[in-house]
Amino acid sequence: MSSVIVCPSCDLAHRAAMAPVFEGSRCARCRAPLQGPENGNIDTAIALAVCALVLIFLSNAYPLVSMLYNGTTRDTTLAGAALSLYSQGHAGLAALVFITTIACPFLQILCLLYLLIPLSRKREAPWQDNIFRLLTQMRRWTFIEVFMLGALVALVRLSAYARVIPGVALWSCALLMLTLAALSSRTTPGQFWQWVERNRQ
Amino acid sequence: MRRVATGRSLGLLLCLQCRATVRALDVRHPRCPRCYAHLHSRKPHSLALTAALLICAAVLYIPANLLPVMYTRTICDDERDTIMSGVLTLLHSGSWPIAVLVFVASIVVPLLKIIVLSVVLFSTWRGSPRFRTQRSELFRMVEFIGRWSMLDVYAISLLVALVQIRSLAFVSVGWGALAFAAVVVLTQFAARTFDERLLWEKP
Repeated sequence: MSSVIVCPSCDLAHRAAMAPVFEGSRCARCRAPLQGPENGNIDTAIALAVCALVLIFLSNAYPLVSMLYNGTTRDTTLAGAALSLYSQGHAGLAALVFITTIACPFLQILCLLYLLIPLSRKREAPWQDNIFRLLTQMRRWTFIEVFMLGALVALVRLSAYARVIPGVALWSCALLMLTLAALSSRTTPGQFWQWVERNRQ
Repeated sequence: MRRVATGRSLGLLLCLQCRATVRALDVRHPRCPRCYAHLHSRKPHSLALTAALLICAAVLYIPANLLPVMYTRTICDDERDTIMSGVLTLLHSGSWPIAVLVFVASIVVPLLKIIVLSVVLFSTWRGSPRFRTQRSELFRMVEFIGRWSMLDVYAISLLVALVQIRSLAFVSVGWGALAFAAVVVLTQFAARTFDERLLWEKP
């Protein structure tokens, strides 16, 4: 059935191109992206995932920003942002911040490594389908790039009153954002299941 | 309307998980042969679910903008900031590019998202054949930019974590922030439960 591609946005049926797609094609009717570019080397994806894992440890271990005010310093980590919300009685908001900036990015990378490492050795991880579904959910709730911009806004607001110093974690967060973007464009669902299919044949 | 070959007319199902094209079989609960996900010709109860989520989001949008999102307590004064007054403070402190950024992300984007989703939902429900391509593109754009509204929530969470100098300055969160975050989450879900393919079908 691979000779027909159905558009996920408008259900229009297209004849599939036989040659691998490099630049990505769009639906003829609704202009939605139809096939992502296949720049798929599984080892590149694993390397990026390992890189992201290191960056996520850095972003959580070091302070994000420090503030100098009348000779006293205060700094906060990524988890500190969620914790301070929790300590003020806003558990729901704290959970949302924790899930979107720490839990989802971290679990996303773990899921991906769990799936890709066996796949690169021509095997399949147990519960592959469920884990991949979990991964898609995690991806939707990873808001690292939004958090980066939010941190920038907070820095600007604070710099009017105190001296603020960006910490190590802020830089590693910025790198993490870029790495995750590169990673998810290389491990789209289409690409991943194509690797699995090639493996099964 | 021109007759075109669609997945439905050819008897094909698309797996939204792994993008596999599957021939529709006459079984009760078809599953994708590649990734074992449940297959549906269209997302179940799409329009009703989207409408319900959208109404919740629209209702919560009011407290999100009226309630204070942040309290600032310093020695000289007590200040309560709503989202809009936060933007105005940024504007007066001279950083207008950041003020514009926050204005777009936390006021324009959520409102635009609610309006666009309502228009797309209503016209799909009516089966309107006009501007299908534009509506479909608008929907995808709104789905893509929706997450950026969380910007202010993150900024506030960092301010709360940093500004805790006991006697001098103290920042705390207001319930407006929770309402605001709820609007973002609900509209994200509303965009996800909406099945775009319904937009291209006759009523």
